[in-house]
Amino acid sequence: MPEIVRSFPFLLQGALITLWLTLASGFFGTIIGTLAGMGRLSAMKALRYPSSVYVEFIRGTPLLVQIYIIYFGLPSLGLDLKPFTAAVVALTINAGAYTAEIVRAGIQSIDKGQMEAARSLGMTGWQSMFHVILPQAFRNVLPALGNEFIALAKESSLVSVIGIAELTRQGQYVISRTFKSFEIYGGVALIYFALTFSMSQIVGWVEKKVKIP
Amino acid sequence: MSALVEIDNLHKRFGTLEVLKGISYSVQPGEVVGVIGPSGGGKSTMLRCINHLEKYEKGSITFDGILVDEKKVNINQVRSRIGMVFQHFNLFPHKTVMQNLLLAPLKVKKVALPQAQEKAKELLKRIGLLDKADAHPGNLSGGQKQRVAIARALMMDPRLMLFDEPTSALDPELVGEVLDVMKELAKNGMTMIVVTHEMGFAREVCDRIIFMDQGVIAEDSPPEQMFTNPKNPRTQDFLRKVI
Repeated sequence: MPEIVRSFPFLLQGALITLWLTLASGFFGTIIGTLAGMGRLSAMKALRYPSSVYVEFIRGTPLLVQIYIIYFGLPSLGLDLKPFTAAVVALTINAGAYTAEIVRAGIQSIDKGQMEAARSLGMTGWQSMFHVILPQAFRNVLPALGNEFIALAKESSLVSVIGIAELTRQGQYVISRTFKSFEIYGGVALIYFALTFSMSQIVGWVEKKVKIP
Repeated sequence: MSALVEIDNLHKRFGTLEVLKGISYSVQPGEVVGVIGPSGGGKSTMLRCINHLEKYEKGSITFDGILVDEKKVNINQVRSRIGMVFQHFNLFPHKTVMQNLLLAPLKVKKVALPQAQEKAKELLKRIGLLDKADAHPGNLSGGQKQRVAIARALMMDPRLMLFDEPTSALDPELVGEVLDVMKELAKNGMTMIVVTHEMGFAREVCDRIIFMDQGVIAEDSPPEQMFTNPKNPRTQDFLRKVI
């Protein structure tokens, strides 16, 4: 039996963790990114500046370093996170910054007449944002958001450095035991591809589903 | 009877460009006021100041006895009683016609859904678009969109309706259906301020015409006088060009 077949269930366990990491940090990252994206467009400096600093700093530093800071650095400040939590936090913070830019572009793509119409009806800024602007903005940036999710699935391999038993890490285990690098890494790559390809199919389906007639 | 809208010495600038240089007039309840004049004369800006879509530097606007530009006033509450119709309709494209009509009553006035639906159907029937209730704006003609936009504004039971060149973006053959809805509104006693290039409509429907040019009101008179015997040379010049 080829090693890849024998190790497949083991790798799949890792893929499941990868999926969880992606979903969790994708979900929280979208929330944070939406807030930061709106923050960057806010008229209030107190919202705009922190949002910009957040986005610029996270975009301008390596994810690997961010993971190290959160897992190895924060304990010295008294914040000791479990590896999985640290991984989700790091990926969330990272994804949030990229999502913020996507959301900002999405909001800016909506004609300002939409906000004016909503406000002229007496809706508050938040109501207008929530019911009128964001639903349209998200539709417009769905392809970009899909890209971000796919990037996130792949980048989650970096948290293997803090011992998360995700797909890449599981592959490394198998190789350290069998030395079949090409076969196992090849298999790992295919599993990543299956994961990301499914995601892009799902995003495509959602795009069609929510398309404005 | 006291005025519904009272604008006093309104000033507004965009950067160094002064677009409103002291506008004053008042509108009585039930009055239909047409605002005409060349492009860039400040007509739309003046209109947008009334419901605070534009900020202004100087002057005051009183609506229904409330000084609107006071910091204490809940601007959303004031806006919910002033309907606005835009040149480019600004319907919410991701929502159906019915949802466009329901959104503000449900979220702002907290009207119960069945009552709001009832009212929406009534209004759609009035504008002849009941069969389009479940259509999205993207599937409507320009004239239909603008009628829906008027109905959406009427859902809030406004005391005042502002029209910002409501037919300027329409194909010529679709202008009539929108003007008809506006005429019906006027006939039923709605207070309206209409920025328009439709001189026929202005003459027929409006009680009063304001001619705005270069940020000031150059002339303010009943339509008959405005169109047959304008006093201001700038009005004469403008009317000669458009009629």
